[in-house]
Amino acid sequence: MTTSPIEATDATDATDATDATSTIDTTGTTNATEVSPVTLTTSDGEHLDFGCAPGQTVLEAAAAWGAALPAACRRGTCGSCRATVTDGVYDLDTHSPQALPPGERDGGAVLLCRTRPHGPLTADLPYDNSRILYGGIPVREGTVTALKPVARDTVRLELLLDEDEEQGAGFQFDAGQFVEVRVPGREERRAYSLANTGNWDGRVELFVRLRPGGLFSSYLRDRARIGDRLTVYGPQGAFGLRETGTRPRWFVAGGTGLAPLLSMARQMAEWQEPQPARFFFGVNEAEDVFAETELEAVAVEARAFTYEVCVWRPGTGWRGAAGTPADRVADALRTVDAAGELPDVYVCGPPPLVETVATAAVAGGVPPDRVFRERFLPT
Amino acid sequence: MFCYQCEQADRTGAVPGCAGPLGNCGKDPATADVQDLLIHSVKGIAQYASRARALGAGNDEAAGFILYSVFTTLTNVNFNPTRFVALLQEASDIRDRVRARYEEAARGRGLEPERLTGPAEWQPAPDLDGLLAQAPAFRVDAGLDLVGPDVVGLRSLHLYALKGICAYAHHAHVLGRHSTEVFGGVEDGLAYLAGEPADVDELLDRAIGLGRLNLAVMELLDAANTGTYGPQRPTAVRTTPVAGKAILVSGHDLRDLAALLEQTKDSGINVYTHGEMLPAHAYPLLKAYPHLAGNYGGAWQDQQREFARFPGPILMTSNCIIEPYPAYRRRIFTTGPVGWPGVRHLADGDFSPVVQAAKAMPGYRTEGPERFITVGFGHDALLAAADQVVDAVRRGAIRHFFLVGGCDGPTVGRDYYRDVALGAPDDAVVLTLGCAKYRFNQHDFGAIDGIPRLLDLGQCNDAHSAVRIAQALADAFGCGIDELPLTLALSWTEQKAVAVLLSLLALGIRGIHLGPSLPAYLTPGLVAVLVDRFGLRTIGDPKTDIAAALERAGA
Repeated sequence: MTTSPIEATDATDATDATDATSTIDTTGTTNATEVSPVTLTTSDGEHLDFGCAPGQTVLEAAAAWGAALPAACRRGTCGSCRATVTDGVYDLDTHSPQALPPGERDGGAVLLCRTRPHGPLTADLPYDNSRILYGGIPVREGTVTALKPVARDTVRLELLLDEDEEQGAGFQFDAGQFVEVRVPGREERRAYSLANTGNWDGRVELFVRLRPGGLFSSYLRDRARIGDRLTVYGPQGAFGLRETGTRPRWFVAGGTGLAPLLSMARQMAEWQEPQPARFFFGVNEAEDVFAETELEAVAVEARAFTYEVCVWRPGTGWRGAAGTPADRVADALRTVDAAGELPDVYVCGPPPLVETVATAAVAGGVPPDRVFRERFLPT
Repeated sequence: MFCYQCEQADRTGAVPGCAGPLGNCGKDPATADVQDLLIHSVKGIAQYASRARALGAGNDEAAGFILYSVFTTLTNVNFNPTRFVALLQEASDIRDRVRARYEEAARGRGLEPERLTGPAEWQPAPDLDGLLAQAPAFRVDAGLDLVGPDVVGLRSLHLYALKGICAYAHHAHVLGRHSTEVFGGVEDGLAYLAGEPADVDELLDRAIGLGRLNLAVMELLDAANTGTYGPQRPTAVRTTPVAGKAILVSGHDLRDLAALLEQTKDSGINVYTHGEMLPAHAYPLLKAYPHLAGNYGGAWQDQQREFARFPGPILMTSNCIIEPYPAYRRRIFTTGPVGWPGVRHLADGDFSPVVQAAKAMPGYRTEGPERFITVGFGHDALLAAADQVVDAVRRGAIRHFFLVGGCDGPTVGRDYYRDVALGAPDDAVVLTLGCAKYRFNQHDFGAIDGIPRLLDLGQCNDAHSAVRIAQALADAFGCGIDELPLTLALSWTEQKAVAVLLSLLALGIRGIHLGPSLPAYLTPGLVAVLVDRFGLRTIGDPKTDIAAALERAGA
C-alpha cells in the first residue's frame, strides 16, 4: 500500500500539534542531582519551591516552573527583580551597579535574573504573592452545538463553552493553538487544533478526522449528539503567526492540518493584516475535500488572499489541481521572480507532508528558519 | 540594534545603550533597526518639506505623517516590526510626493530645484531582510568615529527632543490643532539633523531652540485639549471599582477616550482611566459621561500585574505599553501609534471589539469602598485662584512650591520623588504632572488656608500649565521664574521629558533636579556644559535637597 503524503491513515486518533504541545526544557536536566532546590518567600509569607537547573537563573527556573516573577530587563540593569538571598551559594552574573550597588550585595541582595545557584538556595522576595503570575492550562466545560460530516471521515465539531468565572463568556486564543478534549466517560484526552479565531462568545470549532477504532472518533461516530457536554483543556501550543514584516505568508495544509492554518488566515482577514497570503490545501482524494466555503469567505474578507485545493489521486470528477501541496508549493515558488518576495511558509499536517513541503520550500529558496511547522501525529 | 533613547538604557557595558538581544524596554533588534530607518526616512521627507514650506508649498498631510511616524518610535509605543515595514514604504511614497511639490514650487518661482542628498535620496528595501541589512548605517550614533561623542550626543539630544515634540504635536493634531510654526519647526529640525551637523555650539543653541518650539507645541496641545473638552476643573476621581462591566483606557490620547465613551454610552459598561489618562476626569466634556467611572492602578511600569487583574478589556492609546502578559494579551487592544506583535490593533476609531470583549468579560461583581483623589488643577483652575495663592505666599502661609513632574519607571532611585513630596514641609505646596505622582498621590496632604497642598496639573503633556502658572506667579511677584520659591524635581523616562527639559531651559529656569539618572547620550563634557550654563542638578538625598531648596529660597 502506498503511504499517503497528505493524510495519515493510522487506525488511531490523530493527536494534533504534538510538537507544539510538548513543554520541553531540557536545559541541564540530564543530571537531576545537579538541580538546585530553590525556595522563594514572598513578603506575605508564601513559599515557592522549585528546582533550578545548571545554567539557569532563578528567574528562568521560576518561569519554567510556572511562576512569572516581576522582572523587566532580565539583563541585570533595571533592578526590577531584586531579592535577598537568606541562605545558599550562588553566582551573580554581571549587572549594573545602579541596579544593585556593590555594598548591598554583601547583605545578600541579588538580581534574580543574574543569580545562578550552586546547591540549595533560599531568598526573600520584596513583594506579595499577588505580584506573581501563575499559569495553568485552563479547563472549560462546553456543549456540542454542531456536528456535521464535511468530507469522507471528517467532521466539523462545534462547541459553545460555558461562561468562566474569571475569563467570562469568551474563548480567546492565538491562531494556531489547539485544545485537548476529554473523551466522554474516560480519562483520555485528544488534541485538536482550533479552526476558528479567538472570540467573545465561547465558540470552539474543530475539524476531526475519524479514525477506525479511535477513542474520540468512535464517540463522535457512534454516540455524540447535539447538546452533549464536553471538557476542553486549553488553549495550548506555540504554533502561530510570526511578525516578520510584510513578507507574504503561505499556508500549506494536508487534511485536517487545515485547521490551525485556517485559523491564522481567518485572523489575518479579521485583523486586516497587510501581508499577501496564499493557501494550499491538499487531500488524498476528491471525497476528502472540505472547508472550501470557509476559504472562500477568507478570500472575500482578507486584503490579499488566494487559495487552491489540490488532490493527490483525483478521480474523474475532480476539476481542480492534481498533486500534492509540496508539488504546488514547488511550482509556485518557481513563479516568484527575482524582484518578488519569498514567503514565510506555515505548514501543518502529517509528518511526511510537512517534511516534503518543507523540503520543497527550502529548495525553492525559502530559508529553513522561515518554514514554520506543525506535525499531526497519531496516538 | 543600538538604542539609548530612554532612561532604562543599559549602562552595564563600556558604551551605554541597549545593543540586544533585547532592549531594556522589550524592543527587539529588528524593531529597533526599522525604527532607526523610519527616522532616517522622515528626515528625507523633512528635507524637501522644509524647503517646500519656505516656498509657500507646505504639505500639512506629510507633516502629519511625520508627527505620527516619529511618535511610533518613542519608548514604549510600537514594538511591531510589520507596522514599521509598512510605514517605511509609505514614507518613501510621501517623500516622493513632497519632492515633486517642492520642485514644482521652485520652478514656479523660476528657481532651479535643489538636488538633495542623504536621507532625501534614500530608498528603503522592499522587505524586512533588506531593511535589516540597510539599518547598521543609520544607527543613532552613526558618525561617532568622525565627529566624536559630544556631537553624537547632541545630535541624539536633538532627535529625542524632536520625538517628544512630535508626540505632543500629534496629540494636538488629532484634535484638529496644528500650526505652520509647529509643522515647519519639526521639518526644519529633522532637516537640520539630515545635514549631519557637527558644530557643538550651534547644536547647543538649536537644542534650546527646540525647547522654544516645544513650548509652542505644548500651548497648542493645551488649546486642543481645553478647546475640545473644556478647561480642567478640580475633580474628585474614584479609585475603587464600581460594580459592572468594565473597560480600562491607558495612554494619553483624550480623543480616543472620548470616542470610546461615546461608543459605550448607555451600554452599562463603565470606563476606567489608567496611568496618564487620569487627568481626563477633569475635563468637563469627558466627565459629563456618567460611565467614566474612575481611575484604576498606578504608573505604567505596574501594568503587567494590574492589567492581569482587571476584569475587562484594556485599550492602549499611546505610550506606555510594555510586554503584555499572556494573562491579558488577548484582551488588550492598541490604537493610534501603539503596537505589539500579536495584539489586536484598532486603526479606525471603531472600538466595537473592545466593547464586545467588555460585555463578555465578568467586569466587577462587587462595589469597592469609596475612595477618591482630586485632580484638575490645570492653569485655568489655578490661575482663577491666583490671588488667593499669591496672598498666601505674601503672608508666608505658603513658603515654597515643589513641582514633582515627569514619568515614573521601573528603574531604581525613583522613590526620591515620593520622598520629596512627602518630605516637603507643611507650608509647602506640591505640584504634580505626569505619572511620577502615583508614588504618593493617595496620601492626604491637607490644605493651606483652603488651598490643597497637592495640586495635580495633569499629564506630562500638560507641562504648559506649569509654565503658565509659574509665569503668572512671577508676574505677580515682579520677578523671574527663576527667582520664585519654586523647586523643580523632574523624573524622566522617555523623549517627551527631554523636550520639556529643553523648554524649561529655554525659559531660563536654573537648578532643575533631574533624575533618577542623566540621559546616557549626554557625555561628561555635555553634562558639564548643562550644569555650567543652566545649573542643572542630579537628584540627591531628598532631605538634603529639600533643605537646600528652602535655604536657597529663604536666602
